[in-house]
Amino acid sequence: MSKTHKTLKKDSNKWIWLIGMVIMIIIILGPIYMMFKYSISDRASVVTGGAVIPLWPYQPTTEQFGGLLENKSFINAAFTSLGIALLTVCISLVLGAPAAFSLARYKIPGKALIMILLISVRLFPDVVSVIPVAETFIKLRLTNNIFGVSLAHTLLAIPYVIYIAMGVFETIPKELEEQAQILGASKLYAFFKIIIPIALPGLAAAAIYVFLLSWNEFIFSYFLLLFGESTTLPVLLKKILSWSPQHNLLAAISVMLSVPVIIFTFIVQKYMQAGATAGAVK
Amino acid sequence: MFCKEIYQLINMEKDDTVLIEKEGLINSLIVNIRKNSFGILILTPALLYLLAFLVIILYQIIILSLTYVAPNLSETFPTVKNFLDLANSKEFIGAFKRTIVFTLVGTPLELLAGMIAAGLIFREFRGRGIIRSLFTLPLAIPGIVTAIILFILFDFPFGHINDLLLGRHAFFPKIISTPIPWRSSAVFSLGVAMFGKVWRDMPISMLIILSGLQSITRDQYEAAKTMGAGALQQFKYITLPLLIPAISTVLVLRSIEMWKEFIFPFILAGSYPLLGTLIERAYHEWNSATEAATIGLILLFCIIIFTTFLFYILSWLRRQLVKI
Repeated sequence: MSKTHKTLKKDSNKWIWLIGMVIMIIIILGPIYMMFKYSISDRASVVTGGAVIPLWPYQPTTEQFGGLLENKSFINAAFTSLGIALLTVCISLVLGAPAAFSLARYKIPGKALIMILLISVRLFPDVVSVIPVAETFIKLRLTNNIFGVSLAHTLLAIPYVIYIAMGVFETIPKELEEQAQILGASKLYAFFKIIIPIALPGLAAAAIYVFLLSWNEFIFSYFLLLFGESTTLPVLLKKILSWSPQHNLLAAISVMLSVPVIIFTFIVQKYMQAGATAGAVK
Repeated sequence: MFCKEIYQLINMEKDDTVLIEKEGLINSLIVNIRKNSFGILILTPALLYLLAFLVIILYQIIILSLTYVAPNLSETFPTVKNFLDLANSKEFIGAFKRTIVFTLVGTPLELLAGMIAAGLIFREFRGRGIIRSLFTLPLAIPGIVTAIILFILFDFPFGHINDLLLGRHAFFPKIISTPIPWRSSAVFSLGVAMFGKVWRDMPISMLIILSGLQSITRDQYEAAKTMGAGALQQFKYITLPLLIPAISTVLVLRSIEMWKEFIFPFILAGSYPLLGTLIERAYHEWNSATEAATIGLILLFCIIIFTTFLFYILSWLRRQLVKI
């Protein structure tokens, strides 16, 4: 009797878990599905004139994407976004990777202070820091300028680069570069020719992370580019939103903006997992 | 293989410390710097970059907030007129109140969402890896995209959510009889913004809670079970106290993010600004960098005070729970 009661309870627990799981999956996938659905919707299934909006478009079409690929302002924004993101990756890696190596290997005086500085940069509200940065950049003529935006994005990216790269450098055995130095290599040579090649997969993960951060970034791009000719994709999306366009156009741009992010996020995840297992084997 | 080298290295370092003790503090610093000169050299560019931005941000924000620009563009410095003006401005007071409510409601919601997701995913089942990747998917969608999808879904009068709640789909019960105006009420628009924020950040909370759960060993539960503890007691006396570090991390990090939230209220609740969105409005619509900087400084102080307060409460709570 008590045994059947117990299995009953176990069964009911399982059902509660299953229902919770289904609800959670619907909540998570619902908005993402809707984005794809709207992006392939034809006009009739967006502007329904009061009828129920269909859960699957009446006539799926890719005309929104075709239109976007011929739209000059969209192409320009995509290339601006790409340029800013790549430049941000370069600046933040050139600054961040050596700093991370230094923090991982050497007993730097005031190391704790530097780590606190990095955490506070990471936690500092960007909507607050954007005002002084924008005011200063106006004086330095760095607004409406790809380089200026990258310089600002680097500020957001550098704590991540240093943290990820520090983790990577800590897994590389110290003996490796010591051997090289015993054989007569200078510290600089050992760093560039031995450490960097080994750390490359991990640094690639950091680079992808920074790329995505810059690609998604809205606040700094918005404040620094609003009155200029060039815009990034997120800023273009906001500008188009204020002209109140059709929902399928908004969704199509959203898809174009987020598909690279979704793909790259899973690539980084793979890298991270590979890194973790490599560490375990060693 | 490297035993000899390591041994030499250890001995070398010992010799160094003896040297340091002999020669005093300043000399030890010089020895330290000389020994780590390469490290310091390659750290310098990043450090200079960070310090330059730190100086720009802190210096400019203080100067701007203490400068008053009169309508005829004459500037006075230093003055606290900006702060006094804001204290009397209805818009600022409204935004301040809304931000506090937004933070106090949103932070526990983020924790709750993370705990539910972590609880669902914690047990062993087939396809766990896929579900785990699926649960981290919201993180991969850019914030502005999430905001725009919600903007479309919560349209008035004919959006998907209103359709659903009005019972216009066969599979969902009718809940309301008139469509909800999602954008013309503070509660609804900020509610939608909060939903977006919680939806997007759920994976971070989930991963932190999950790592906390995984650090609790099975043995502790087994021991409790043999002593006759029920599920509720196990949760209260084992899971909760041992999860406190993870929960504290989530609460501190998430509450800071809630205070400074920008993109969701910016897109979804334009008529009901929070402090973050009010900064943007001050800068672009009122055309006043000084007022924007002042609001920013106030927001910064709010975050610092609130986080310190939260820290104390959490450490007090931890002591209370561990005592049991």
